[in-house]
Amino acid sequence: MITLALDIITTAAILFIVAAGLLIVFGVMKIVNFAHASFITVGAYAALVTSRFGLPPAWAPFAAFLAGGLIGAATERLVVRRLYRRPLDAILATWGLGIVIGQLVTLAFGREVQFVPAPISGTLAAFGVDYSLYRLLLVPTALVIAGLFAGLLNGTRLGLSTRAVIMNENLAQGLGIDSARVRLITFGTGCGLAAVAGALITPLASVDPNMGLAWLIGAFMLVMVSGGSLLTLGLSCFVLGGLQVLASTFISPILGGLTIAVLAAVALRLRPQGFARA
Amino acid sequence: MPDLATVHDVAAPTSSSGSPRPLLRVAIAGLVAAAVIVVGPWVLDTYTVNILVRAFFVAIAALTVDVLWGVSGTLTFGQSAFFGIGGYALAIVFNQFGFGPGQAILALGAAVGATVVVAGLVGWLSFYPGSTALYASVISLVLPIVLVQILYSGGTFTGSSSGLVGFESFDLTLESWFRLSGLAVIATLVATSIALRSDAGRVLGAMRDNDERCTYLGIDTARVRIGLLVIAAVIAALAGFGYVGFGAVAAPENAGFVFGTQLVVMVALGGRGSLIGAVIGAVVIEVASAYLSSSLPFVWELIVGVAFVAVIVVLPGGLLGGLRDLGRAVRRRAAAAPAPVILRTSEQPDAAPERNAIVVEVAGLSKHFGSLSVLSKISFTARQGELVSLVGPNGAGKTTLIRCLADGRERSEGSVRIAGHSIGRLSADRIVGLGLGRKFQAASVFETLSVADCLRVARVRSERPSFFGTSPVLTLPAAARAVVESSGLVERLGDEAQFLSHGLKQALELAMVLALEPKVLLLDEPTAGLTHAERQRFAEILTGLVARERLCVLIIEHDLDFVRLISSRIIVLHQGRIALDGSVADVVNAPLVREIYTGRPASDACGVTP
Repeated sequence: MITLALDIITTAAILFIVAAGLLIVFGVMKIVNFAHASFITVGAYAALVTSRFGLPPAWAPFAAFLAGGLIGAATERLVVRRLYRRPLDAILATWGLGIVIGQLVTLAFGREVQFVPAPISGTLAAFGVDYSLYRLLLVPTALVIAGLFAGLLNGTRLGLSTRAVIMNENLAQGLGIDSARVRLITFGTGCGLAAVAGALITPLASVDPNMGLAWLIGAFMLVMVSGGSLLTLGLSCFVLGGLQVLASTFISPILGGLTIAVLAAVALRLRPQGFARA
Repeated sequence: MPDLATVHDVAAPTSSSGSPRPLLRVAIAGLVAAAVIVVGPWVLDTYTVNILVRAFFVAIAALTVDVLWGVSGTLTFGQSAFFGIGGYALAIVFNQFGFGPGQAILALGAAVGATVVVAGLVGWLSFYPGSTALYASVISLVLPIVLVQILYSGGTFTGSSSGLVGFESFDLTLESWFRLSGLAVIATLVATSIALRSDAGRVLGAMRDNDERCTYLGIDTARVRIGLLVIAAVIAALAGFGYVGFGAVAAPENAGFVFGTQLVVMVALGGRGSLIGAVIGAVVIEVASAYLSSSLPFVWELIVGVAFVAVIVVLPGGLLGGLRDLGRAVRRRAAAAPAPVILRTSEQPDAAPERNAIVVEVAGLSKHFGSLSVLSKISFTARQGELVSLVGPNGAGKTTLIRCLADGRERSEGSVRIAGHSIGRLSADRIVGLGLGRKFQAASVFETLSVADCLRVARVRSERPSFFGTSPVLTLPAAARAVVESSGLVERLGDEAQFLSHGLKQALELAMVLALEPKVLLLDEPTAGLTHAERQRFAEILTGLVARERLCVLIIEHDLDFVRLISSRIIVLHQGRIALDGSVADVVNAPLVREIYTGRPASDACGVTP
């Protein structure tokens, strides 16, 4: 029972970490970054490289953020920038970018599955059960990411500009906000966060060039359901992630794997605008 | 004006296939391609023939993606699922019951039946009044993922992750498979091009351009899209049926999301919306992958990825679209002359001059968003032959009122009757059927369709369009024809609507709405942005419609001089209520109106508009 509760909480945290970067890009730019999966992969390989060089594992998320952020900013400059008026094409172009990044990773690191050792191993005895310490650590990590994100958006000048662009881009431009710069930073941050997610989940899973793909659809559906708000994203991660854990535990893991996608699709049919202002 | 040309004095070809030349071209191209296919196996080596058979089946699936995405505007990643359903239906039946003619028929029936059910369900989920293109894409993503998970969990029945192999399948020679699949591609391609060029096929392009306008022309776009999806899904399933029947292997990858995106990549590279581009894209990528993926495994996919991104960003028309533009630039030849259009006037049911039945009845209509009340307890009636102006400051609820009349799901309370029928919770396209036409504030037409085609789409509801041919005849009711002729649109019938001036676009939209032969016409600030002369002409058209056709016109207008000139009655809306309802003289001189418009004496009048 307690294991189940901890499973639900940690699953929600993992889903939140994975979806946060996608949410930032979708919230500000109204486009869906299908290259998100590849940035998760990039982050995972950044963690792999960090551990190969014998650097402390705590560096991995930062290295990942740097790698993901830089590549993300470069792709925004080269590709995404031209597609803001064609949102469906932006999905396709970012999917294509994903293919390109995935193949580059394959060329550089090979196709085989690799492993990154967990920075913290062992279990924590809590409420009478032993639970993976690393998984538990991801809960505060998710809260830190959410807090940083909210603080950045609400407490800084860049955040103010970003919120202005979200609400009314034309007006923001008219008031002298450089919306191109806001978008560049947003896309870079979103990709950086995706990479951080990749680095954080690698100790739980293996690393291979297609590892991000498995996460993409779930994250995408969660962002759609959340309607672009941080709070509802947390909520939908908790509700849908919880149902996923329950379905996997009590019915079958395969059904559990479908829970998020199917329930989110039905939820969107009933409330097409998402649950941001529910 | 209506007597310039009636049905009887215009000579028009009687055959339904009015423009034989493009059809002939398609037929000749099809025959040449078929000849190449028949000769193919004698020239090509076995390995290539083998690859081409698979490529042809994939090309058929890519073609369905092109119709859904390139032509009707729904980006889909889910056609792979239908391809997979077709393939697995064959594999499962042959695996369970062995091979035989009866089993083959059973497998085919299962493939088509399962596809129709799944596609119908997916269509119902994806398309509903007010659904977005992005949502349909989301559903198309979920479908293959769900299907693959089901296949994984099917145990020996579906072969789980390794798929189904080792069953006996159709015993045909490689040459026969090649000819069968090649001819299937050509037949699908020819049939699709004929259907899409037909009068009915044009509606798909109109839906891609402007779904809302289609709805307000009385077309149930959700139903059309669901029907299209079911047809496209069945064709994709048959392609998958052939693919698995040939290879005698059904793998989960054939049904998966990644294959779904590969189909989109093929269509995008070849040229979306061009049909032939999808086939070329699919065949080239399939063949090149087969040859290059062994020698340059990762580099090849990298090249495809880079090419895909480049095409999406700089060449949205794909390679074929790019070549076409290049060819046009090199030859400097003007686009082919548009087919001639023969204008005809449809016969009016009757011309009783004194019709003045009540056609709009609004009782207790309210609309609120949460606790914010936008309209409260609106009640009024309007008769045929009346021109009622709705005036009021910005935010008074005028456009909301129009929306509540035109779409049954908009209002929160109250009842609306159009031409004697309660609109209940009917969707917009059904209310058009009751006799209501709505013109939007910003001109809403089909940008990539010609003027004549825009008008033809407006007539789809009253004249069932042909699925095979295109008719050169454009039949319009007298009122619409009068607008087309007096505005000068008659000179521009062959031009694409996007090249029209603002004034002409407004006239075109009005003509499209009038082509519906409405009893009630809703106009939202139709003169905004028009020149004085255009405005004058517009006033004449409107008063003519009211006097001659006995239309009931409800018009939102800010310009009080214009209102005074045309109206037979004025309704003043203020803060969501009817403040005044009376004749022009009564209203214009009422102190309340001056108060509302100048905001002078009353302190609560906040919105001031000229």
